[in-house]
Amino acid sequence: MTVAAGIGYALVALGPSLSLFLALISKKPFLILTLLSSTLVWLMSLIVMSALSRAFLPLKTTVWWPYTILILTSVGFQEALRILFWKVYKKLEDILDAFADRVSKPRLFMTDKMQIALAGGLGHGVAHAVFFCLGLLTPAFGPATYYVEKCPKMPFFLVSAIIALAFATIHTFSMVIAFSGYEEGNKVDQCFAPVVHFIAGMLTLINLAFGGCTISIPLLYCVAIVTLVHCGKMAWRRLIENRSREGNLSNSQ
Amino acid sequence: MDTTGSILESIGVEIIGVMSPVSICMFLVVLLISFLSSTTTPTTSSIRTAANLVYLETPSDSTTQKLEGALLNAAVFILLITLVTFLLVILYYYRFTNFLKYYIRFSALMVLGSMGGSILLSIIQIGNIPIDCVTFTVILLNFTVLGVVSVFSNGVPILVNQMYMVALGIIVAVWFTKLPEWTTWVLLVALALYDLVAVLAPGGPLKMLVELASSRDEELPALVYEARPNVGSRAGSRGQSLGVLLAGVSEGEAVELSVMSSSENVGSDGRGVSETRSGNVGRDGRGANETSGNVGRDGRGLNETRRGNVGRDGRGLNETRSGNVGRDGRGMNETRSENEEIDGVREVEIEGETLPLMGGGDGRERAMANEEIRESNESDRGRVLERIIEGAEERERGIRLGLGDFVFYSVLVGRAAMYDMMTVYACYLAIISGLACTLILLAVCRHALPALPISIALGVIFYFLTRLLMEPFVVGTSTNLLMF
Repeated sequence: MTVAAGIGYALVALGPSLSLFLALISKKPFLILTLLSSTLVWLMSLIVMSALSRAFLPLKTTVWWPYTILILTSVGFQEALRILFWKVYKKLEDILDAFADRVSKPRLFMTDKMQIALAGGLGHGVAHAVFFCLGLLTPAFGPATYYVEKCPKMPFFLVSAIIALAFATIHTFSMVIAFSGYEEGNKVDQCFAPVVHFIAGMLTLINLAFGGCTISIPLLYCVAIVTLVHCGKMAWRRLIENRSREGNLSNSQ
Repeated sequence: MDTTGSILESIGVEIIGVMSPVSICMFLVVLLISFLSSTTTPTTSSIRTAANLVYLETPSDSTTQKLEGALLNAAVFILLITLVTFLLVILYYYRFTNFLKYYIRFSALMVLGSMGGSILLSIIQIGNIPIDCVTFTVILLNFTVLGVVSVFSNGVPILVNQMYMVALGIIVAVWFTKLPEWTTWVLLVALALYDLVAVLAPGGPLKMLVELASSRDEELPALVYEARPNVGSRAGSRGQSLGVLLAGVSEGEAVELSVMSSSENVGSDGRGVSETRSGNVGRDGRGANETSGNVGRDGRGLNETRRGNVGRDGRGLNETRSGNVGRDGRGMNETRSENEEIDGVREVEIEGETLPLMGGGDGRERAMANEEIRESNESDRGRVLERIIEGAEERERGIRLGLGDFVFYSVLVGRAAMYDMMTVYACYLAIISGLACTLILLAVCRHALPALPISIALGVIFYFLTRLLMEPFVVGTSTNLLMF
């Protein structure tokens, strides 16, 4: 029974990512590599953050300001990494295009680029879910469960799985939005990812208050849904534009 | 989406072809270990120190004694491995190839039968699986026999061979994780260093072995996982040809496994390879059309060679084929063997230059025949098997990874699994990215490379970083339900 619960928690956190992986990523080796490297980048950022926080921030205290600083710096750091990731990706894209020319295959399609962004985002999201939720899940497979004192309504594992799902969604799709923002030079989209990430991080601060998780989780899901909808709209718009451009192209020929 | 097959599908196929069995191996080891660790299994470590499954000590309170003991253990172990590897080189040099081959089969028998059997037994005990001893014996016997048969034979489908390689890796790795913690870590580092020296240093035993084998047109009689291009799910990929990778080697003899690591993939010698290749091609290719070539080369091997090939073509081939077809319709073109090796000849010329490109570097889109040397040539018997695959556009060779690499990657992850899952994920990522780096290096420098050092170094670093820094941090924030 507890095994079922543990698997259930894991699936709550990672189920959507898993299906995304199986449906899309796993068919294209390059996307798997992108996903792995982005997961590794995220892991390294987490390690750096933990080293910094261990050096400078006393987290044992019950005051909330160190946590605020922590979240601010972490989000800032990860957003900086996202820009770095974009720069690396840009170089890679040139290489890929050159390669495609050589093997006389078509260059990267717009959907390919979005898939790469998706794989990169999924890497971040999966890394988040893995390290913040799955990594702590081991005790959930044993007998008994665990409640955090600030959130007595639900077992800790369930709460963290639910939060991890929201974050995985946010990370995954905000990467797509950010990449397309960089590519099109769209300032709004460029700022969207950091802002959403920051808001989501700040929302989890509510959990420090007693019973805060009942408030923060719905808010977090609102943010996730906003991200999802925004990403959907953006992808739809670009697809339509792309199609009409291709249509024009073929008409003119 | 794009139906025309974008290049995303064709890049990295080979890397994934190596990574997926490694991942599967690690995953199963972690599962087995977390399943088995609920009880203490009978300790049978071949190394002197007592094995202990539940050894949870933080490195911070290390006693110098432990460190010394671990260093000593590792030194002895490495010494043994070195000796055995040199012995292997000597035997191989004097062409005791059959002996080596049977020895390896025997080791596979022992590993699968006794070690695998005891692991199976403990699974049955822990899982309370109702099974009678006759059934158990029959299952074990079948499992073992098929495994032994698949080790060096050509008639067995490559998939079975690959599965057994992974199974051997899992069994040995699970066994190795019974070593005490300190010894394990020191041993892993020592093995990585050993691998580095043995493969790269002039006079290193593995390097000698690889060169010897390639100068003879043979493959090492050793347990090597071969990622055949056909097997990995490759979708239209002919993206890149990675040279052969030589991977690390390692052999746990302690365990009786003589996996000699052969990791050689071609790489090591680009030149070696090419020679090998061309040699083979020459043999079969030209010759083959009608064997004259073969004859020339080694008279007596000939018949057998033929037979071997035939066998392969016959059955092996079909399967390969079907595999391909199933996977991607065009498998067919790819596998043809022998008969059309004529194309192979063409390849010979190109061979020297062909190299891998990876990372999208530059494609080589030359139409060349893909060919792959089939493993297991046992020289004496003269079964050289070779298969030529011709691909429409480029040639790919399978990347080969020594079984020892499988084992020690898995040992690292398995050891991490005894601490916590978080370290497992970190180590997995580190090892896989180390493997990717090694593959990229392979593509760049094209000779046999040790696969252990980068991965093990990254794995060990990430393990301790995770354990010392990240875990307390993550546990601290996430038990406050803070995430970002």
